[in-house]
Amino acid sequence: MPMPASARPESGASGLSRIIDAAPLVIFLGMLIYIGFNAPNFMSFGTMQLVLNQSVPVVVVCLGLSIVVMAGGDDVVSGGIDLSIPATAVICAGIIAQLVTNTDTPLLLAIALALGAAMFIGIVAGLMVTRLGMTPLLTTLALFVAVVGVTKVVTSSRRINVDDPFIIFLRDGEILGISAGVVITLALVLVFYHFIHRTKWGLNLQAVGGSCEAAEISGLKPGHFLFWAFVIAAFTGFLASFFLLARGSGSSPGTENNLMLEMVLATFLGAAFSPRRVVTLWGAVLGAVLVAALSIGFKTMGVNVFWTGLIKGSLILVVLALAALSSRVKS
Amino acid sequence: MSIFRKTAIAGLLASVVFAGSAFAGEHLSLSGKRIGVAVVGTQHFWDREAFNGAVATVEALGGEVMAVDGGRDNQVHADNHDILLAAGVDAVISILGDGAVEPKFEALQDAGIPVFTVDHPSPFSVNNTTSDNYYMGTTIGRYMADAIGGEGKVAVFNAFEGALRICGIRAGLWKYVLADYPGIEIIQPELAEEFANAPEDARKQTLDLLSQYPEGTLDAIHVGCWDQPAIGIVQALEEAGRTDIVVTALDGGPETLEIMAEDGSPFVANVAQQPNLIGSTSAMNVARYFAGETLLPQTYVDVLPVNGQAEAKAVYAELGYGTLD
Repeated sequence: MPMPASARPESGASGLSRIIDAAPLVIFLGMLIYIGFNAPNFMSFGTMQLVLNQSVPVVVVCLGLSIVVMAGGDDVVSGGIDLSIPATAVICAGIIAQLVTNTDTPLLLAIALALGAAMFIGIVAGLMVTRLGMTPLLTTLALFVAVVGVTKVVTSSRRINVDDPFIIFLRDGEILGISAGVVITLALVLVFYHFIHRTKWGLNLQAVGGSCEAAEISGLKPGHFLFWAFVIAAFTGFLASFFLLARGSGSSPGTENNLMLEMVLATFLGAAFSPRRVVTLWGAVLGAVLVAALSIGFKTMGVNVFWTGLIKGSLILVVLALAALSSRVKS
Repeated sequence: MSIFRKTAIAGLLASVVFAGSAFAGEHLSLSGKRIGVAVVGTQHFWDREAFNGAVATVEALGGEVMAVDGGRDNQVHADNHDILLAAGVDAVISILGDGAVEPKFEALQDAGIPVFTVDHPSPFSVNNTTSDNYYMGTTIGRYMADAIGGEGKVAVFNAFEGALRICGIRAGLWKYVLADYPGIEIIQPELAEEFANAPEDARKQTLDLLSQYPEGTLDAIHVGCWDQPAIGIVQALEEAGRTDIVVTALDGGPETLEIMAEDGSPFVANVAQQPNLIGSTSAMNVARYFAGETLLPQTYVDVLPVNGQAEAKAVYAELGYGTLD
C-alpha cells in the first residue's frame, strides 16, 4: 500500500529520533561489552558485585537529588537541584566517626545527632529556596561549602577510624550471599520508588515539578512539596553517611567533591536513558551503576591513569549531547 | 658540604649502584606477572614520581602494569584495591593511603595476593619501602630550632600525625627534638591542612594565623609531614610582608626547592626524598619476592637534608631536576 506523502518525512524523523533515542544506551552497552572483552575478569560475578558495592553511596544521594529535581522541575538553574546532599553525607559521617571513636558516645546517640544535623541542613535549604525564593543551584552550592567547613571543624580535618560492628557489617556483611550494603540500598530504592510513584503525595510532588502552574490551578502548593523534597534529600545524605563510613572504615576528609560530581553526573545521565529525557529514580540508579561500571572497567583494562578522566568525561558528554539532539529532533 | 650531605649522597649512589647491579646480577624478572599499582593521586610531584618509578621498573622487569589512581581521595584509593583484587593481579604495590586501605590489604592477603606498600607500614604488607622518616623528623627539628635561634613561637600544620604512621614518625620526632629547647613553644591548637587542595588551603589558614599573631609574636611555621602546604604558606607570608617568619617542611620536591633557592626566601630548611627511587625500589622488591628472596619488613631509601639556599640549589641539581641560578 503506498504511504501517504505527508507521512514520509515524519516517519523519517521518528526513525532518526528512535536511533538517537537508543544511542546513549547502545553506546554505554557497547563500551561495557568492549571492556568485557578487553579487561581480565570484568565479566565476572565478583566484578558485578564490586560495581554495585562501589556505587552504593552515589545511588543513595542520587535518590535525594532526583526527588528535588522532580519537585522543582529539571531546569538546572531555576528548577530543583540540591548540591548540598554530599556535604550532608560527609558531615553526618564526620559527626558519627568523631563521637563514636573519639568520645566513646554510644552509636545510637551519635546517629541521632547526625540525623538532627541533616534535618537542620534540609530545613535551611528548603526555607531559603521556598520562602526567600533563592536560586537552588547557588543556595545549595553555598550550603555545600558551609557544611564542608563545619565538617572540618567537627573532625579537625583529620582521618577518623571507625570499627563499630554495625559499620563493619555494612562493609563486610552479606544478606543471602549478596553484600549487605547492596541489599539495603536496593530496599531503600524500592521504598523511595513506592513513595514517589505509588502514594498520592509522591504523585502530587511529581505533578508540581512537571508543571508548576497546572499544579497550582488544581490546588497544590508547589512550595510545600519542594520544601519537603529538600528535607528528604538531606535525609538521603544522612543515610549515605553510613555507607561512606563503611566504605572507608571511617571518615576521611575530602570525600565530598567526588561524591558531588558523581551524584550530578549519574542523575542527569540517568535522564538521558529515560524515554522522556527527564530525571527519574530508576534512571539515576542506573546512571550511578553505569558510571561505576565504566570507571571500574577502565581501571581493569589498564587504561593509562592520566587519560581516564578525559575518556570518562568525553563519553558522558557524547551521551548528553545525543540526549539534547534527540529532544531537538522530537520538537 | 656537611657530613650529612656526604652520607646522603654516598647512600644515594650506593642505592643506585645496588639497584643497577640488582637488574643485571640477580636476573630479577617480573615476566608474565601482572602487577597492580595503586596510587592515592597523581596531582602532586611526590605521588606521581613514586608511581612513575614503580610503573617504569615493573615494565623494565618485563611485567605488565595495572594502574589505578585515587585522584587524591583516600576512599577512592582504598576502593581501587577491590578492583585489583577482582582483576586477580599477581601482586599489588600500594602507594600512600590512610586507614581506609587496611581492610583492603587484608582481603588481598586472604586471596593470596602479596601487597607491597610505599610509605604505608601495614601488618598486611610484605614490605614497606619508605624514606628514613626518623632521620627526616629529627633533622628538620634541629634545622628549624637553629633557624630561630633555639627559641620562639612555632605554628605547625599537622593534619596527618594521627592518621598516617609516616607522619606520626616525622612530626613525633620533630617534637622529640624540640623538647630539648624549652624556649620553643608550639602554638595550640595545631593547624590541619587539606589533603587535596593543600597550597591554597594553607595560604588562607596562614593569612588567618598572621592576623591572630601580629608582627614579632610568631617565629616559624612548620609543615609536619610534607611540602605542598609550604607553597601556600610562603605565598601568604609574602602577601602580608611577613617574610621574617621562618618556614620549614619535608619532602623537598622541585617546587619547594625552587622556592628555597630564591633570594631572601623565608623557606629555610627541608629534607628531600627520592620518590622515583622509592617507587622503583618497591617494584624491585616485588621481583625479589617472586625470586624467592626473603625481604625485610621495611626498606629505607636515603634522604637529602637541605639547609638554606645554597643547599637547595645543590640538591635540586643532584636529584636531576635541573639547575637553579
